Amino acid sequence: MAGTRPMSNRWTLLLSLVILLGCLVIPGVTVKHENFKTCSQSGFCKRNRAFADDASAQGPSWTSPYELDSSSIQFKDGQLHGTILKSVSANEKVKLPLVVSFLESGAARVVVDEEKRLNGDIQLRHDSKARKERYNEAEKWVLVGGLELSKTATLKPETETGFTRVLYGPDNQFEAVIRHAPFSADFKRDGQTHVQLNNKGYLNMEHWRPKVEVEGEGEQQTQEDESTWWDESFGGNTDTKPRGPESVGLDITFPGYKHVFGIPEHADSLSLKETRGGEGNHEEPYRMYNADVFEYELNSPMTLYGAIPFMQAHRKDSTVGVFWLNAAETWVDIVKSTSSPNPLALGVGATTDTQSHWFSESGQLDVFVFLGPTPQEISKTYGELTGYTQLPQHFAIAYHQCRWNYITDEDVKEVDRNFDKYQIPYDVIWLDIEYTDDRKYFTWDPLTFPDPISMEEQLDESERKLVVIIDPHIKNQDKYSISQEMTSKDLATKNKDGEIYDGWCWPGSSHWIDTFNPAAIKWWISLFKFDKFKGTLSNVFIWNDMNEPSVFNGPETTMPKDNLHHGNWEHRDIHNVHGITLVNATYDALLERKKGEVRRPFILTRSYYAGAQRMSAMWTGDNQATWEHLAASIPMVLNNGIAGFPFAGADVGGFFHNPSKELLTRWYQAGIWYPFFRAHAHIDTRRREPYLIAEPHRSIISQAIRLRYQLLPAWYTAFHEASVNGMPIVRPQYYAHPWDEAGFAIDDQLYLGSTGLLAKPVVSEEATTADIYLADDEKYYDYFDYTVYQGAGKRHTVPAPMETVPLLMQGGHVIPRKDRPRRSSALMRWDPYTLVVVLDKNGQADGSLYVDDGETFDYERGAYIHRRFRFQESALVSEDVGTKGPKTAEYLKTMANVRVERVVVVDPPKEWQGKTSVTVIEDGASAASTAPMQYHSQSDGKAAYAVVKNPNVGIGKTWRIEF
Amino acid sequence: MILPQGSLFLVSIAACSTVVAAAGDASSRPRGVSPEFAKFYKDTTTFTCISHPAIQIPFSAVNDDYCDCPDGSDEPGTSACAFLSRNSALTPGERPGSDDLELASALPGFYCKNKGHKPGYVPFQRVNDGICDYELCCDGSDEWARVGGTKCEDKCKEIGKEWRKKEEKRQKSMTAALRKKKDLLVEAGRQQKEVEDSIKRLEVEIQAQELKVNDLQAELEEVEKQEASKVVKGKAAGKVNVLAGLAKSRVEELRNALMDVRKERDDTRARVKELEEILSKFKVEYNPNFNDEGVKRAVRSWEDYAAKGTLEGAVNNAQDRDLDEIAKPDDEKAGINWEQWENEEDGCEAGLVYQLAAYLPSSLVEFIEGKVLFVRGLLEDNGILPKAAETSTSESKVVSEAREAVKSVEKELENKQKQLKDHRSDLETDYGVGSIFRALKGVCISKDSGEYTYEHCFLDQTKQIPKKGGGSTRMGKYTGIGSVSVDVLNEAGEIVPEDRVTLQYANGQGCWNGPARSTTVILTCGEEDAILKVAEDEKCVYSMHVTSPAVCPGGDEGAAAPNRKDEL
Repeated sequence: MAGTRPMSNRWTLLLSLVILLGCLVIPGVTVKHENFKTCSQSGFCKRNRAFADDASAQGPSWTSPYELDSSSIQFKDGQLHGTILKSVSANEKVKLPLVVSFLESGAARVVVDEEKRLNGDIQLRHDSKARKERYNEAEKWVLVGGLELSKTATLKPETETGFTRVLYGPDNQFEAVIRHAPFSADFKRDGQTHVQLNNKGYLNMEHWRPKVEVEGEGEQQTQEDESTWWDESFGGNTDTKPRGPESVGLDITFPGYKHVFGIPEHADSLSLKETRGGEGNHEEPYRMYNADVFEYELNSPMTLYGAIPFMQAHRKDSTVGVFWLNAAETWVDIVKSTSSPNPLALGVGATTDTQSHWFSESGQLDVFVFLGPTPQEISKTYGELTGYTQLPQHFAIAYHQCRWNYITDEDVKEVDRNFDKYQIPYDVIWLDIEYTDDRKYFTWDPLTFPDPISMEEQLDESERKLVVIIDPHIKNQDKYSISQEMTSKDLATKNKDGEIYDGWCWPGSSHWIDTFNPAAIKWWISLFKFDKFKGTLSNVFIWNDMNEPSVFNGPETTMPKDNLHHGNWEHRDIHNVHGITLVNATYDALLERKKGEVRRPFILTRSYYAGAQRMSAMWTGDNQATWEHLAASIPMVLNNGIAGFPFAGADVGGFFHNPSKELLTRWYQAGIWYPFFRAHAHIDTRRREPYLIAEPHRSIISQAIRLRYQLLPAWYTAFHEASVNGMPIVRPQYYAHPWDEAGFAIDDQLYLGSTGLLAKPVVSEEATTADIYLADDEKYYDYFDYTVYQGAGKRHTVPAPMETVPLLMQGGHVIPRKDRPRRSSALMRWDPYTLVVVLDKNGQADGSLYVDDGETFDYERGAYIHRRFRFQESALVSEDVGTKGPKTAEYLKTMANVRVERVVVVDPPKEWQGKTSVTVIEDGASAASTAPMQYHSQSDGKAAYAVVKNPNVGIGKTWRIEF
Repeated sequence: MILPQGSLFLVSIAACSTVVAAAGDASSRPRGVSPEFAKFYKDTTTFTCISHPAIQIPFSAVNDDYCDCPDGSDEPGTSACAFLSRNSALTPGERPGSDDLELASALPGFYCKNKGHKPGYVPFQRVNDGICDYELCCDGSDEWARVGGTKCEDKCKEIGKEWRKKEEKRQKSMTAALRKKKDLLVEAGRQQKEVEDSIKRLEVEIQAQELKVNDLQAELEEVEKQEASKVVKGKAAGKVNVLAGLAKSRVEELRNALMDVRKERDDTRARVKELEEILSKFKVEYNPNFNDEGVKRAVRSWEDYAAKGTLEGAVNNAQDRDLDEIAKPDDEKAGINWEQWENEEDGCEAGLVYQLAAYLPSSLVEFIEGKVLFVRGLLEDNGILPKAAETSTSESKVVSEAREAVKSVEKELENKQKQLKDHRSDLETDYGVGSIFRALKGVCISKDSGEYTYEHCFLDQTKQIPKKGGGSTRMGKYTGIGSVSVDVLNEAGEIVPEDRVTLQYANGQGCWNGPARSTTVILTCGEEDAILKVAEDEKCVYSMHVTSPAVCPGGDEGAAAPNRKDEL
């Protein structure tokens, strides 16, 4: 017996191991909460919330300890300088320099710093080499313009004492009312207050203080709770916090505003929820601390991969916004309060104020205030500061086929051939990390990708592209030349002791390129030259992943906050811009990989911050193949557009797990409305390239993809619009109808650019209909059969069987299309256009088209076509709205044979019934010509339509078609 | 053999050139129209849509780069009707004809004359897209509009030449493939015949064997009868002998049981070892990525487990040596020398009892004997002692020899019957048409692909051998023949299903986080047995494209099927 006991023990162990292993194969479906901090686990979040709670609890008796020293105020050239004094004790006041800038664009900027730290007059603990100043270089990565100071801003005369009033903005209709004690600022437009800073008194600048070592316990009870001031531990990592507590916080109130949008990235509704608990509200603040969140959950304020601390507040006919320029970890609490002037008549005259409370772990307090009044103006002003969306290469807005991983170069070729075999268009195929030799970037696996060039050449035969992944972690291996170079040139990020930081990522032990370092950027640029990154041709583009940065063994899966970057800035200070510094370096690298061959770069990034739109596209990271994730992708993409980074998409099909055929089909039908349209899948999932899906789903998916391609002219025009005025590419209801209160919270339908196309993706299983909300009483027409829907302020049920994409056209638009399917979007270049003229109630329509070579920067020198199409008084005209440049004529010549092959007029006047031809007058033609026209009447609630065959007008020409 | 092959080739060339010649004559055909469809384009004033004769358009609308016919037949030479496909959802605006007409292209594609090569169709979506599709249209006529300055020169001469060369090779290869197929069929027939012959032989042998068994059985009974009387008389055979016999059988039994347990232990150890290896590898290779709690827990548990000692520490060599000793059969040198005990004459206690009995009152003798029998019965009933009747140890050598003889012949018979059964079931097994795969059974082919070399042994198994080192992985054991429908392109570039013979392999090595590996080998006609490519369709479900002459069409499988002939 004695002999058998160990045996049975071993069996038990074995069994339990087997059970454990069994547990592992059950796919996890929820995020690992324990890996990420809650507010109460983040010292400064806890402190700022407590500070706010304390202030609220004291009510009117609370006085914010910040006072603007009236004698310090100076106003000059649109800028107000002064010093805020923070009362720490009766006789200790901390000096906080204040600068309020009134910008020509109409935005105002409030910056508060700390004098002692500006002067370097502090001591750091642990002999830290970190910088003493508060981080003030975020703008170096984020802002590109719009900082021109207002020439007309003036101090308002006859201001009561204790206040300073500045008139600024267009026609000086904006007004900043700065109260000195306690310090606060109200921003008014047309006499009405829209944005209030420190109205609640939550302003909090944790000034530097030395750590007073207390001997023994409980001997000397200090007034304040210091438990979170110094070293902070989480998940086995300790942050040494050499500068102690240094957070900045501020309450920003939007009086009369019920809805706030923005501050991506969160898997949540478009209209942000309250965060202080209660039914349907969040318990935690919205967090922005870029992180690689595994299997993220939905309806959550939890942080994700990117952060844009830009918020729009919206109410009927007014939109305002704030931009919190701080790259450190940031949380935002939102509370809405409804007040009624007459408590007995609740709802009547009741107004809702939205009060937001922002706080960041370190850095300056730097906030921009935008007063609108339209969402378009907000987009434009914000875009002037942070940059507009890059006009992408044309292929980038077509369909991308990705998978982790296409396993060999032959595999890629095979997929490429199969798309052609099944006549499904696609433009780009992607390679995830497995293409590399042992996860060493800039190398190819010699066994699986022995001949990348021939693979790229095959893709190029149909002008398709390849995107390969390049991440910021560089395998720590002596034999790896890139690693060697980076180390020897000293271009990597350092740990708190100034040694090269070593962490764990895909390749195992890795170092991180410090793209804050100009020398590192220069080196990074050199790595992408075709003769350096062997195996790449000019049709290869880049995917920057894991740039939060993701560090598998780091705190919250990222870098320790006390790591040091170039200039000895702590990682804490720069964390949220880390991602875009990599993208910035990659962007510069892709501009000119071969001397003389300058091309628009294409980069996909996972991590981002404000400004990323200038250089890249984003996707929503590692989502899951569930209906809920499909649904969540719509508000997420819309919200990114609101926040100025509209080139966004989610993995079509869902990254983790296998979608059903129905889910995959619906996801394609939804995915064609993402500005960035890419299918992607985890390595453990079944192959799901669209041609592999059994009929009828294959055809339905193909139709969806072809619909995207058909509308590419409209998409490219929308991208162009975004690139010149910051408008979202797909727009939410409130953006399109800012006056319609019932539509403000709607985030499950979207408008494509200014085309009037309104799509409502089906995101639920076994749906056969979809309810589309219409704001106005314009006629809307079903895209596929011209069924008419009309009726303002209500939802209309439209059929949505599996094969249908619910899609309406709002009356009053001209939609440009290309109807001929091709293998790739590049091969549609010379195809003729179809113009769909959807008449409004008044028989008018308007639309535009932007075209260029889709590849180079020649458009900056006029090499483009920009037309406005207008239908009024029975005539469709095409007018030039472009500006001529040195390359215009040359470009127009190449486009001379590209024409309009068809004009479809939806819901034409009945009088056209007998008409069989139209008169065509093209500029420069010797005489007018005619083109045949056919009128088709329809029944069953479907609108009539007329089709002009081959009017034979050039797309780049000015012309007029008379009906 | 060479002659007919050559002439076949000439005929095909001739066929080609007549087509080309015909094409040359009909220069009046609109662009992109093949001779097959020329008749629809004869009327030069009105054009009638091919599939919708009710729709007529002026002939000037043919190839005017605008789609008028619901079947696209008015645009044989442009891409204007390329959207007429189930892959495009149309709106009323671009739908040619009225709403309810079914839209499907009447033409297979843009017809390229390809003078100097064979004519071909290019899908309409490729016409005038700026790309020279020489593979389908070597004369470059698909890019007639020269969009964006595209110029596709006529390359038919060189492409045609190349193609003919290839075609000739292909033809040759096909002929060779058919020859190989024939060989395979012959070989399969031979093997089948071998099996059939074996069956016949076995049937005869089994009959003989059965007779032999009967004879020996009879002999045994006879011997037993004789011996039985001896045993009854000679109780003197001795209790020690009986006991020795009992002990011997008991020891044998225990030894066998021990060996079984030991084998079981070794198997289990091997499994534990494998598991420990998996886990230690897992610990090293797992991705600390995403801080997956489950994984971390598993790793920690493993570390705890390993700290308490792994299998390596638990293995006791001394114990194994002991076991080896015990496992050896008993003889003079090892264990107990049964020989000695069995041949021992009574002279000890047991014998004494009987000797003593002579002096005792018979009632007492009966009592003692009764008690002995009772105890023995008790022991027997509890399985501690084998039943006396069953013991052969008390048998004489003659009986056991006779019994052995019966046993061995019976065993032989059993073997033969099993062989017969196997052969018969083999004959019933599906080896494909003409049993052709019988000839390929066990033939192995392999291919390098990416990180692995893949191996396919026909009707046996599929394997994956990593190039970077490490053991090979079985991707499935043969389970049977099947079929699968694959999508192929027809001449017009349309997807059409085609049935392929498959060989199915299942229950391969299990996958981490997935099913047991399985492979579908999809066969295509080819001269050589070769793996074309291997794909992982989903996690651990592979498809292997393999060429083999065995599935080439043609060749007379029926005629070569030997069993029919034999039966005649």
